[in-house]
Amino acid sequence: MRLAFNEDQATFATVLAQMLSDDTEAGFRTVDGWGRFDYGHALDARLEEAGFFDAAREDDLGAVAAAAMVHEVAKAPVVIECAATALLRPFLGQELPRPLAVRVDDAPGAIRFLPQARSLLSITDAGIRWAQIEGRGAPVESLYAYPMGMLDDAPDWQPLDVDPNAVRTLWQVALAAELGGALAGGLASVLEHVRERAQFGRPLGSFQGIQHRLAEDAVWIEGAQLLTLRAADSRDPADAALALGHLQSHATRIGYDLHQFMGAMGLTLEHPLHRWTYRARALRAEMGGAPQALLDYADARWDKR
Amino acid sequence: MDFAWSAENDAFRTKVCDFLDSELPADWQSIARHGPGSREQTEFSLTFCPKLADAGLLVPHWPEKWGGADRPTWEHFILGEEMWAAGEPRGGQYMNVNWIGPVLMRYGSEEQQARYLPPMASGRAIWCQGFSEPGAGSDLAALRTRALRDGDDYVINGQKIWTSYAGMAETCFLLARTGEGREGIAVFLVPMDTPGIEVRAIPSLIGHGDIHEVFFTDVRVPTSCRLGQEGEGWNIISYALSNERVGIPRYEMSSRELDAMVAELKARESFGNAIVRSKAAEAAMACESARMLVYRVVDERARGEPPGTAANLARVAVVEADHKVTDFGMDFLPDCFSGDGHPAFQAHHERAIVTGIAAGAAEIQLNLVARRHLNLPKGA
Repeated sequence: MRLAFNEDQATFATVLAQMLSDDTEAGFRTVDGWGRFDYGHALDARLEEAGFFDAAREDDLGAVAAAAMVHEVAKAPVVIECAATALLRPFLGQELPRPLAVRVDDAPGAIRFLPQARSLLSITDAGIRWAQIEGRGAPVESLYAYPMGMLDDAPDWQPLDVDPNAVRTLWQVALAAELGGALAGGLASVLEHVRERAQFGRPLGSFQGIQHRLAEDAVWIEGAQLLTLRAADSRDPADAALALGHLQSHATRIGYDLHQFMGAMGLTLEHPLHRWTYRARALRAEMGGAPQALLDYADARWDKR
Repeated sequence: MDFAWSAENDAFRTKVCDFLDSELPADWQSIARHGPGSREQTEFSLTFCPKLADAGLLVPHWPEKWGGADRPTWEHFILGEEMWAAGEPRGGQYMNVNWIGPVLMRYGSEEQQARYLPPMASGRAIWCQGFSEPGAGSDLAALRTRALRDGDDYVINGQKIWTSYAGMAETCFLLARTGEGREGIAVFLVPMDTPGIEVRAIPSLIGHGDIHEVFFTDVRVPTSCRLGQEGEGWNIISYALSNERVGIPRYEMSSRELDAMVAELKARESFGNAIVRSKAAEAAMACESARMLVYRVVDERARGEPPGTAANLARVAVVEADHKVTDFGMDFLPDCFSGDGHPAFQAHHERAIVTGIAAGAAEIQLNLVARRHLNLPKGA
């Protein structure tokens, strides 16, 4: 049992943190037409060029480093397709062109990252398929702070010879890492605000009513981050459902707190809070949301009868 | 990162489990139902702990000099998980193992170490902690019990309350005031048979004879009873609590009680219901989150890092886990909490209602997380 990064993972995390802080385009800027998201093309290119998306293939980095990267990248105000590339692609047995979009159980509606995606991956109990779509996904206006798109026509599906359950588990880990990162990014932004913003003659963050709720949020987010890394390490279905379910269960309350304490500033598109909270709202519902993750976990830990 | 137990860790856990299987009597649950602070369990610990010591399983993480084997920090926590999950057959002696002994090793005089550590390491010492007072619960620094210097003695007057184990303890780890403010607090190791000490049990929700009032009236002790220096008490207690906040692996017992509740629901053919399964999963998630946050503290300690804020976050999570499990049981197995019902579930409920209060209330932990971990400004 060792909960600290090994030497390679620590170096990886340090370089990634440096890259994220150096990249001015990873920070917040408004988008023409008040768009709800800002795709970080420059950050995406730098990470790809430096080989970060292949961390899971390296024995000394593994899926743990990949999950940690997804978490950190999701803390940035810009959004890039990172989770599927970092945590699914290395285990599919075939080098799919990225960015990747992912659809689970043929769920209807718009799909995250589809307008940018060059590949679409389909996860169902019947099997794993993929299609090369090269940006054929039509953009859709959406509340969520992601590029969302719909397919105009049926893609040319190709089967992948990989265990659907293993891919489903990895996708739960990836979603947990991204959701945890989005919530952590939002929390950091709100903490900065309540340290500075004074009302009634004192900083908002000095009021115990606010302190306790943010402290509880931090406990849930940090606990879930460890559960996510454990799931990345074990790739066990119960661990993965546990991590995702824990975050999806608490995302509503955390998102509520973040908006409450940012107040009216968080209602504007001039402030980045929505970039994190509206990503979290999308991820909260993925793969059936908390209700399904809870049942997945219960079934994995205790069979029904 | 490596979240798996090593073969050595597994072997140690097996050794502990085998010991429990062989040494816990058939009627252990009828003893354990009274709670770790009860007279029944305390008396049991006086026969159980010496056997544990003989097997090298009471203080394996202590230095050899004091009866230990210098075993790794993780083994101490594995031991704690199995003991607590079994209902804590060490009774109040777990405190000796977890923090009183280590505090004496760090701050005690040679005479104090020689007097108190060997009985602890052999499983024959019962201590109580004289911290809380009627006017000093969460605000521990408001304590008023006073120790006045009188030549080579101190004369102690005051009152402690909600004191576990006081009914059978031989020694009290007592906080008393020698001056003003936090700098005016000192620790005294006071034999409980010293004239002027009166103990009264308080009827409570949390087990039979668990908590007490302790009155100190002109209690005269020599200066050699003082631990460390005058004014050093707050540092000593901060060090002690940094060990104690995650000293009880409550998540492990909660997790196993939850499994037992699920087994009972299955036996009643009630576990197919999706609402029941979801609620069970929610409680399990809280337990596992608490486990990971506690493990982070243990990992930091194992790597020799100084105590930080991780223990405060862990403690908040542990409280939530305990309550989620006991609430699950009371929601879906209410009959188990009346009459003969299910003794282990009842005992778990009693422990759970203590979790958020003992060793620093959950709200105090949230204050500490907010200020020290999230760097939020102090309130007015």
